[in-house]
Amino acid sequence: MKECIAMLLAGGQGSRLYALTQKLAKPAVPFGGKYRIIDFPLSNCVNSGIDTVGILTQYQPLVLNEYIGNGQPWDLDRLYGGVHVLPPYQKASGSDWYKGTANAIYQNSNFIERYDPEYVVILSGDHIYKMDYSKMLSYHKEQGADCTIAVLEVPWEEASRFGIMTADTNGVVTKFEEKPAKPQSNLASMGIYIFTWSKLKQYLEQDEADTKSENDFGKNIIPTMLADGQKLCAYPFEGYWKDVGTIDSLWEANMDLLNPNVPLDVWDENWKIYSRTAAQPPHHISNLAHVENSMITEGCEVDGTVEFSVIFANVKIGAGAVVRDSIIMPGAVIEEGAQVHYSIVAENVTIKKDAIVGARPECMTDLSQWGVTVLGEGITVGAGARVQPKSMLTEDVKEVR
Amino acid sequence: MVNLNALGIIFPNMHDSELKELTDHRTMASVPFAGRYRLIDFVLSGMTAAGVQNVGLIVKKNYQSLMDHLGNGREWDLSRKRGGLTIFPPNSAGEGVDYHGRIEALHTILPYIEKAKEDYVILADCNVVCNMDYAALVQKHQELGADITIAYTKEKMTPAIEKNNISLQLAPSGRVRELLTNDSTTGKRNLSMGIMVVGREMLVSIVKNAFSKGQVRFEQEIIAKKLETMQVYGYEFSGYRSRIVDMGSYFEANMQMLYVENLNRLFPEGRPIYTKVRDEAPVRYAIDCKVKNVTMADGCIIEGEVENCILFRGCRVGKGAVVKNCILMQNTVIGPGARMNYVITDKDVTVSEGQYLGGTKNFQVFVKKGSTV
Repeated sequence: MKECIAMLLAGGQGSRLYALTQKLAKPAVPFGGKYRIIDFPLSNCVNSGIDTVGILTQYQPLVLNEYIGNGQPWDLDRLYGGVHVLPPYQKASGSDWYKGTANAIYQNSNFIERYDPEYVVILSGDHIYKMDYSKMLSYHKEQGADCTIAVLEVPWEEASRFGIMTADTNGVVTKFEEKPAKPQSNLASMGIYIFTWSKLKQYLEQDEADTKSENDFGKNIIPTMLADGQKLCAYPFEGYWKDVGTIDSLWEANMDLLNPNVPLDVWDENWKIYSRTAAQPPHHISNLAHVENSMITEGCEVDGTVEFSVIFANVKIGAGAVVRDSIIMPGAVIEEGAQVHYSIVAENVTIKKDAIVGARPECMTDLSQWGVTVLGEGITVGAGARVQPKSMLTEDVKEVR
Repeated sequence: MVNLNALGIIFPNMHDSELKELTDHRTMASVPFAGRYRLIDFVLSGMTAAGVQNVGLIVKKNYQSLMDHLGNGREWDLSRKRGGLTIFPPNSAGEGVDYHGRIEALHTILPYIEKAKEDYVILADCNVVCNMDYAALVQKHQELGADITIAYTKEKMTPAIEKNNISLQLAPSGRVRELLTNDSTTGKRNLSMGIMVVGREMLVSIVKNAFSKGQVRFEQEIIAKKLETMQVYGYEFSGYRSRIVDMGSYFEANMQMLYVENLNRLFPEGRPIYTKVRDEAPVRYAIDCKVKNVTMADGCIIEGEVENCILFRGCRVGKGAVVKNCILMQNTVIGPGARMNYVITDKDVTVSEGQYLGGTKNFQVFVKKGSTV
């Protein structure tokens, strides 16, 4: 048996990332130069000593399945345990898509039971953070809790955007409100739960029997457990955590990597973030290039200017091209003289000569027209073309002469 | 990919003596190259790409770093149930000989060669860096109906190569007329790459026969003497390569990786070179750093000035440091304000704040593994 296993919810479509999630699930979206979002929770598991992880997939699972493979890059290729991708499947009684986060776990009760765990960690595949789950588990045990919810202090003015926990001085949750208009606390749920499995199993079965339930942890399981007087504890987390479900937050989280004052350090030898990467030679910065405050990884060739940007593998940036405040995903080509400002450029996009993508906010007369520009996977922006700020493109843009 | 009907045998310690500084604690095969590789990566990746399923390494000494690098061979797709990577330490078959030369080395693993199912054997050293198509080499060998096919490059003789080379004189048909050792005739020569193909059964009989006569050197004592009776052919390799014969050529071979066209020739798309994965984060270029003409592997953090340098994984260049014309191997740390010109630092070297280290274009300063300056 295993004391503790993790279940990672990775089925989300990520519709607010639209152009970036046309062909892949949100957890598979590239992040931070050589990672995908899911690398963070997965690496956290391994670094916390959890060697059994079930990944629940549903939306566009191809890229994610291939990426996870046998789990070897995360050291999750184990004789007993390891990583398992769990899509919805057909049962003798019929088949169901995952109806909600709780239902996804319910449908995989058999998987969990194989390991006969005492505790189950429930994680989401769309958060960027580094966290030691073993400390949270110790807290759960010390408290003798039925469920422990990781919480983060957020600024009061933002509290109404989150699921807010009110806890007493012993850390016991007394109240839980989803996006309250008038928050009574600023402890936001991070969507990370540890349950005592026997208790969770009971509530999952109960929840499944309730036809009116949305089968969701935040909306159903947690409120019901609270109402029943089960012991729910809030585990205070200090450190960097970001939900990267929107274009702006995804852009910001990438930029946070470039800010030495933000406590998100991927260079820390003691808490490595693992990823599956293709074999690429070292990157090359030429005599013509100017590079400052940026991240660049293997396989890139840089002849242009790169400032305040995150450059993924195998990107080519031509002479005289300028990339500022942008995220350029693997295989993109930015030709001579092109400019890219405040943009997220997806995999294998080509930006032809002298094209201009996005703009700097200080160059706008009307700031309401400004925002991060997104170019979807594989598109081509023709020579001399202009892509307006805040646009989100999934089709080629014609050349302008 | 189709399996190649050839067994690979690699000699990691051949040429150790040519790079004394770097092979003090490692084999020639595990000498670091081009920011993130070891010399053996090129041979192994080439063999895997060609469909070789079974590779044996005959190691002699100093092989701990090599074993650490290779693990079970998974990174090269050589962790296999059938075949895969096999490392033969000295005396592994109970012979108790400290072997000299290829013949004795091969003799220690004769049962392995005899048991193999492949019809051909590729023998390879690691001192010529190249992205070779081994399938084409074996195919040429088959087409020629040769007994032995030796890969060579046409190269100008340099004083460094002159001291250590095997050259081929070829008939127009490509057949080897003469095999010369350390021939110093100037001009372009056909230099052996230390890579050859031979029929497996023929190799077994050659090794048995030569061993019984006390012959140890495969090229000089066997091939050179049997050119009349054996069909020995040359196979010209005209792709990108760097022949490493001393510290000077090692430095130069690395510096050639500052040219994008060379990088693209050695690492063409679709023919990746695999190496041990270290899970490093991308390179972080800080505000106010100055970087010109560098080839850099992941995990580095650059706060100072770097120009014309090759940086291996996990290096740090502190604020105000100026590093020019250097090769910094894995985990080198250059303190703030330090200045370096024409220096090669081995792994885990620390250069303290404000230090100056300088060599010249023709004579680089070498800093030993793990030292602090």
